[in-house]
Amino acid sequence: MIGFSSKIMLKSKKGEFKRRVQPRIKELKFSLSRIKKSPLSLIGLSLILLFASVALLAPIIAPPKYPYEPYRIPRSGYSATPQPPSYQHPFGTTQGQYDIYYGVIWGTRTAFRIGFMVVGSILVIGIILGSISGYYGGLVDEIIMRIVDTFMSIPTLVLAMALVTALGHNLDSVMKALIIVGWPSYARLIRGDILSVREETYVEAARAIGCSDLSIIFKHVLPNAIYPLLIMASLDVGAMVLTAAALSFLGLGAPIGYADWGQMISFARNWIVGPPSNPLAYWYTVVIPGLFILFFVLGWNLLGDAFRDILDPKIRRR
Amino acid sequence: MLLDVQDLKTNFYTYEGVVKALDGISLKIKEGDTLGLVGETGCGKSVTSLSIIRLILPPGKIEEGKVIFNLGENSKSKGKYVDLLKQTEAFVREVRGDKISMIFQEPSSALNPVYTAGEQICESFLLHRKEELCQEAVEDIRKDVERSRFFYRNIYQIEKKFCQWMLRAPHSFWLKFLSSFPLIGKYKRRIKAEATKKTIQILKRMGIPNPEQVVHRYPHELSGGMQQRVVIAMALACNPKLLIADEPTSNLDVTIQAQILDLIREIKGKLGSSILFITHDLGVVAEMCNYVAVMYAGNICEIAPVKELFKNPLHPYTIALMKSLPEPGRKRLESIKGNVPNLINPPPGCRFHPRCSKAMEICSKEKPKTVKVGKEHFVACHIYT
Amino acid sequence: MKMVNYIIRRLFLVIPVLFGVSIIIFIILSLFSPEQRAAAFITDIKQLRNLQGVIKTHHLNAPLYVQYFMWMKEVMSGNLGWSKTASKPVLQALFYFLPNTFELGLFSTPFIILVGIYLGGVSAVHRDKPIDHISRIIAIVGWSLPTFWLGLMLLMIFYGYFSGLLPPEALGTKASLVVKSSNFTRFTRINTIDALLNGRFSVFLDALRHLVLPVITLTVVQCAMVMRIMRSSMLEALGKGYITTARAKGADEKTVVKKHARKNAMIPVITVSGYIFAGLMNGVVITETIFARKGLGWWWARAAIQLDIPAVLGAVLFNGVLFVFTNLVVDLLYAYIDPRVRLG
Repeated sequence: MIGFSSKIMLKSKKGEFKRRVQPRIKELKFSLSRIKKSPLSLIGLSLILLFASVALLAPIIAPPKYPYEPYRIPRSGYSATPQPPSYQHPFGTTQGQYDIYYGVIWGTRTAFRIGFMVVGSILVIGIILGSISGYYGGLVDEIIMRIVDTFMSIPTLVLAMALVTALGHNLDSVMKALIIVGWPSYARLIRGDILSVREETYVEAARAIGCSDLSIIFKHVLPNAIYPLLIMASLDVGAMVLTAAALSFLGLGAPIGYADWGQMISFARNWIVGPPSNPLAYWYTVVIPGLFILFFVLGWNLLGDAFRDILDPKIRRR
Repeated sequence: MLLDVQDLKTNFYTYEGVVKALDGISLKIKEGDTLGLVGETGCGKSVTSLSIIRLILPPGKIEEGKVIFNLGENSKSKGKYVDLLKQTEAFVREVRGDKISMIFQEPSSALNPVYTAGEQICESFLLHRKEELCQEAVEDIRKDVERSRFFYRNIYQIEKKFCQWMLRAPHSFWLKFLSSFPLIGKYKRRIKAEATKKTIQILKRMGIPNPEQVVHRYPHELSGGMQQRVVIAMALACNPKLLIADEPTSNLDVTIQAQILDLIREIKGKLGSSILFITHDLGVVAEMCNYVAVMYAGNICEIAPVKELFKNPLHPYTIALMKSLPEPGRKRLESIKGNVPNLINPPPGCRFHPRCSKAMEICSKEKPKTVKVGKEHFVACHIYT
Repeated sequence: MKMVNYIIRRLFLVIPVLFGVSIIIFIILSLFSPEQRAAAFITDIKQLRNLQGVIKTHHLNAPLYVQYFMWMKEVMSGNLGWSKTASKPVLQALFYFLPNTFELGLFSTPFIILVGIYLGGVSAVHRDKPIDHISRIIAIVGWSLPTFWLGLMLLMIFYGYFSGLLPPEALGTKASLVVKSSNFTRFTRINTIDALLNGRFSVFLDALRHLVLPVITLTVVQCAMVMRIMRSSMLEALGKGYITTARAKGADEKTVVKKHARKNAMIPVITVSGYIFAGLMNGVVITETIFARKGLGWWWARAAIQLDIPAVLGAVLFNGVLFVFTNLVVDLLYAYIDPRVRLG
């Protein structure tokens, strides 16, 4: 008798799962079709894929000179004056004869590293703290929210500067500083979603049946909150890379000779104006690394924007 | 004849297809009539009203048809009857709010939250009664000039000159440019004060207590009933000949509903305007209207005087609607089987035929023409052709 | 009465945030070792020998909460430490470098707001037409630009290629000589305003010339953000019921957009303007470094590199306080424009 009903339960569970998942698959297919149709999102996706392939193929297209330190840019000499693009140096060299081509290729890897590690960490920290804050409310909520408010009241770069000064001038502390600076917005977002869902009757009903708090968060809140988080995360990858580049540019991040875009542009500071006969002589020191940053961030911004247009239920089916 | 809508067709070009919202609507409203437009949600009642005053925006488009409106004796250039669909946008703008007004379903979203009620009603006056306001302002200035000392007289004279300039050429570029300077633009305040006086008058007529205070209130500070009265005041400010009421009481409490309906009836008596009353509530129709048009899925099924329709409904849809009303003695409410059709792919022929209990073969092939079956009673059904 | 209540309530909210800012600063401070922090108090080489003594005098080894109270005491009395990069006490240095930054902000902010709001509005009204697409592309590219790169590129073109058309720094050589001379009274130490007050029009023009590139660099990113927010809020406002009412009253499109839609659409923009201001401070650090304008950002960048701890912490404190009061002003502005807020 029990075995029979449990078999029925199992069958209905499978069917129920399929039924529950069916409309979500339909929506997913619709989203994908919209992504394919929007030109801007396609451009964004292709840019990101392009950079991803560059990063993955880095050891092949720009073989490292120092096998245990692939991020150290090779220098062919010690003269300060940058050299224009040539056969040995496809993008030229910057101050101190660092090869620009090598620097931007491995810099792509650095950028992905920074972007993914920072955004991944702040997603996790933000979701955890935001969920705790939103779900349990009360004093915990107050404390966490005051912390969030305080962090958000100091501009990101300034706070990151202070943290990096305290932690040491290297790329790891840049990442740590960005993580510390970045999580509050995610916590606030998740907390807002939880607050709005918490009051819904279906949550009360779920609790009355005996669902645990954790399962409510996972089953009801997160699926709805995922979309704005996705949008914010993809926009933030670009933003974090920009801030990290700014810190490296100021000399607070990657050490000299490290393959990092911001670091390479800091070399170019002295060479923006060439000799009077040819003022744009050293354009490649500035333009090339900068274009890499621009298109990288642009790709992520386009993707985030496309997500926003596609996933916002009000604009979806215009 | 005040309004003669002939064969109006409106489409909406959406992402998922062309929604054929209106499929040839024909209505007639005489002076002093109240025509009720009844139908389910989604049958196209609001689209009809918006099409009449040409407020359909892309992705919608009024495809064909005629909306012939009687402008009245003292109309300036166009003669008495004009087809609103063929006029310029500027012309229709002058008609909107002045000769044809509209009141909406949700008063709280129909009012702009950042302006006071008074300012929004004043806008109606400022848009259509500028000359009157300027003249009254000039009169006012004359009185001020007589009463005041010499110095102020000059200021008043300047203000008077501006008011007269506005009378002559309200759209002059130089006038607008100079008015934007703070000191010179003071004359506009006078004109606005005149408009406010008129606003208070009309609020009094609406039966609103303390109109002087209400004028300075923001919409969110007013109750639902008050908000709807403000919307009605906005619409009636310029004594329109036709008032289109798009479900004005659907979102209000029953007691407030009764008050608003009384108000509309009273105003109609005083001003003599005709009303196109859109609703889904047959009870309201019975109370307010003297003619009824029943609409389904973009088509008019039946038009008749109110008493005639209730006594002798002819179209199967109308009959089914009457049967679904609660009545003493009726034990079960009957519903109409089936669902409202998707207007992207409407049923061929008569759009009601899939749900019609009396459907014949011809109903799925040919769209029924409207025939006259009695004195002022018209039906669009193959049973009667 | 309602407004006054609202103001008082908002002021109360200020205190916990300021408190939180002070805690953050203190936590950062305690990340440094006692020896590093002692360096902040040393102004003379002889003191180095007595490092432990310095540490003892300033209680740098005491438990954290004790240090916090002592530090707060110092901060409240105005002593924020000595900045070695500025060779001044931090508080004085803040006031010393403020005018240049203020000038930059003064010329950037109206630009950001006016251009951003106007373009955002135009973009929304002419949705999906060419102007909309162009504006959106400009906005997205503008937002993806690294500020420092934009500044360097602009310098390269307008200073390098066009040989000195729009130069860096705050003033040219001739103008700075005039400013430093005794004929010139510095009322506010803001170059443009002082030049006008002294009647020296050539100095004024020179200062303006030096402002063009920094202002452009600073505003592009913020402008892009304002444009996007304005566009989406304007689209939302245009879909609301009161727009149909206004059209049904017979108002022309221009009035509908300007009078009805725009005022409502500006509300979310104002809400966000506190954060836009914060973004400005970020940009200021980089812009002043690139264009060698000796303002707050320039000082802070150098302080961070040279490990000038009091200055860096002073930066955090300044920004925190500034943000709090900016948000206060923004909230009041918001209550003034949106009457619904005054009640709640």
